[in-house]
Amino acid sequence: MNAVLRSFRPANIAHYVLLTALAAAVVYPVYFAVSYGLMTSQAVESYPPPFLPSPVYFGNMFEVLNLVPLVRFIGNSLIVSSLIMIGELITGALAAYAFAFLRFKGRDLLFAVFLATLMVPGEVTVIPNFLTVRSWGWMDTYWGLSVPHMSTAFGIFLLRQFFLQLPKDLGEAARMDGCGHLRFFFSMVLPLSRPALGTLAVYSFMKAWNMYLWPLLMTNQESMRTVQIGIAMLKKEEYMSWNLILAGVTLVVLPSLLLLVVGLKQLVRGITGGAVKQ
Amino acid sequence: MWKKDGRFRGLQITASGLALTIGLAACGGGETESATLADSATASSKGDAVKVVWWHSMGGNNGKVVDKLAADFNQSQADIVVEPIFQGTYGESLTKLFASLGSDSGPAIMQMNFTSSGPMIDTGAVTPVQQFIDAEQYDIGQLDPNIVGNYIYRDTLYSMPYNASNLLLYYNKDMFRDAGLDPETPPRTFEELMAAAQQLTKDGVYGTAFGSSDAWFIEQFISNQGAELVNNGNGREDQATESLLDSEAAVRTFALWRDLVKHGYGLNLNSADSHKAFLSEQAAMTLASTAGLKNLLDGSEGKFELGTAFLPKPADAKEGGVYVSGASLYIMNDRPETEQQASWEFIKYLMEPKQQAYFHINTGYFPVPKASYEEPDVIDNLKKYPQFQTAIDQLNASVSNHASRGAIIGIYPEARKITVQALEEMLNGQLEPEEATKQAADEITVKLQEYIDSLQR
Repeated sequence: MNAVLRSFRPANIAHYVLLTALAAAVVYPVYFAVSYGLMTSQAVESYPPPFLPSPVYFGNMFEVLNLVPLVRFIGNSLIVSSLIMIGELITGALAAYAFAFLRFKGRDLLFAVFLATLMVPGEVTVIPNFLTVRSWGWMDTYWGLSVPHMSTAFGIFLLRQFFLQLPKDLGEAARMDGCGHLRFFFSMVLPLSRPALGTLAVYSFMKAWNMYLWPLLMTNQESMRTVQIGIAMLKKEEYMSWNLILAGVTLVVLPSLLLLVVGLKQLVRGITGGAVKQ
Repeated sequence: MWKKDGRFRGLQITASGLALTIGLAACGGGETESATLADSATASSKGDAVKVVWWHSMGGNNGKVVDKLAADFNQSQADIVVEPIFQGTYGESLTKLFASLGSDSGPAIMQMNFTSSGPMIDTGAVTPVQQFIDAEQYDIGQLDPNIVGNYIYRDTLYSMPYNASNLLLYYNKDMFRDAGLDPETPPRTFEELMAAAQQLTKDGVYGTAFGSSDAWFIEQFISNQGAELVNNGNGREDQATESLLDSEAAVRTFALWRDLVKHGYGLNLNSADSHKAFLSEQAAMTLASTAGLKNLLDGSEGKFELGTAFLPKPADAKEGGVYVSGASLYIMNDRPETEQQASWEFIKYLMEPKQQAYFHINTGYFPVPKASYEEPDVIDNLKKYPQFQTAIDQLNASVSNHASRGAIIGIYPEARKITVQALEEMLNGQLEPEEATKQAADEITVKLQEYIDSLQR
């Protein structure tokens, strides 16, 4: 009874209004893409634009699939994004372990240098990276697409901060029992850091999924291209058919939405997990 | 280092399921699989045919047309295999080209837009198609001189026009009728345009929606008055050193934009939104490329009758013409000679009236050879879309001089940004048209100088 009453307090109502508004802001682009993707071009260009497509028109989807080999691109993106995600988890966790648990000379300086690379815009490194990877003959390979992105300062930073929050006693107790670094890493640190690892996994997967310039540079064969290039292939130089482009966006967003649904529990735990520590 | 003791699986479970497993499964075979796929897709069936890689920026169904033309060519003979590759926008494609120069990953044929003519020529990475034309006395006279002329620099044809378009005034015939204007006589002069816009403006409906985010429109209005954008013969006789954007023609163009907005006859939007406003009948006139005709027809279908008209100019303006823009095909000189020759063979094939007729009907770009207009399919198509006849007439009416060919400069993106910025400041009331054009001209001149310096370094 009390709890029910409390939920009607002004402060709570204000919370809900605010949350609803924020949720609407997040959902709006998704609604926009899906609903425009299901409209005819006449409906898209009318004023005011209709709120919902009527009738629902699936022609855009078929036309997109006819114009662009999107299924193949989605497959490529899944492979590349997964490789990057795994790579980033492995390198991030190992480096973060070193920065959090090992003591060696110049550790903090080295960490600062890592962090400093966060300040370098990606556009600056893309051409040098391209020249390097091309000289290895990795054009049009999954390795070329994924390896340069398998380690990021952000991933290391995120995991290091989480590792630092693990209770100190744990490490000391483990060492007393004769547990070495590798064993401690695999059997204590990793299982306890599931929320942070899950967060990083979803984050790096999404980032890889949305890559555009790198796959465009690295591939010269249609069979190796990724989804964002597929979207660009729907654009015309002189005129934008928004219904077509947004139908493509809808198809491309689906897999990452699925991942989000699967990974959401980890993600939420990851965010709140850090917030309420002792 | 990687001693996989049993606990390693903890990581797998952690990293949230599905995608990871797929990733691990694909990880092993990915590289080899892709390599074989690519090989089988190209030359393998034809033994030792010359492979010609063609980088292009044609999205949507225009990209399909590229694939079809290449496939038809590959079928038609056994010596050459053309492989078209989409490389993003012209800008992205150019970045990639420059990063690939001198390596074996670059193209033999490069489609690049008109505004990048300066950088394409200045890098010295191109074999001018003029060399092939001279070598075999190819009859260039069969091609439309109003299109080919744009790619002539210092009397040399550097590239072959591929997708040519220009700017048209589109108008809503129904709204013209309702406002008591004759839908068959659209405005031809600035003065008529202002009067028509005034008459069309009422009840939340505007006379014009001219995009103000696209300096291309401004350039076209200036060329149409016979004025050059930069010195040294519009950059065609020598590297341009000075912007002429403070000319009378430019001031009048800026003033037109300003007056339309100031009097409330015109909506001030970016180009994409201006097309939306036009199609949703909030504005009676808009500016768009000839290549946008098909989309505007689709969007207006069942709503209103679409009209097309020449770009207006002041009643007392000099003779000029809208310049053809779009893109052309370059042959890159870092490829082996056999490949360059094969590229030329393909370009010649593309320029045949039959291919150009197919290209024109399916993309809405101009056909380059004049003979294409006699193809039955093209005649039928023009009957179906009489609006396109206006585009052809406007192209033919264009006077041939440096102004109507468009400027060749190395810094189009910067120059356009500066122009749009000045235009916006004027529309916001901060600057008068004379001040805005002067400011833009001065800034562009500085950029031109910087570009020349960078070439000499």
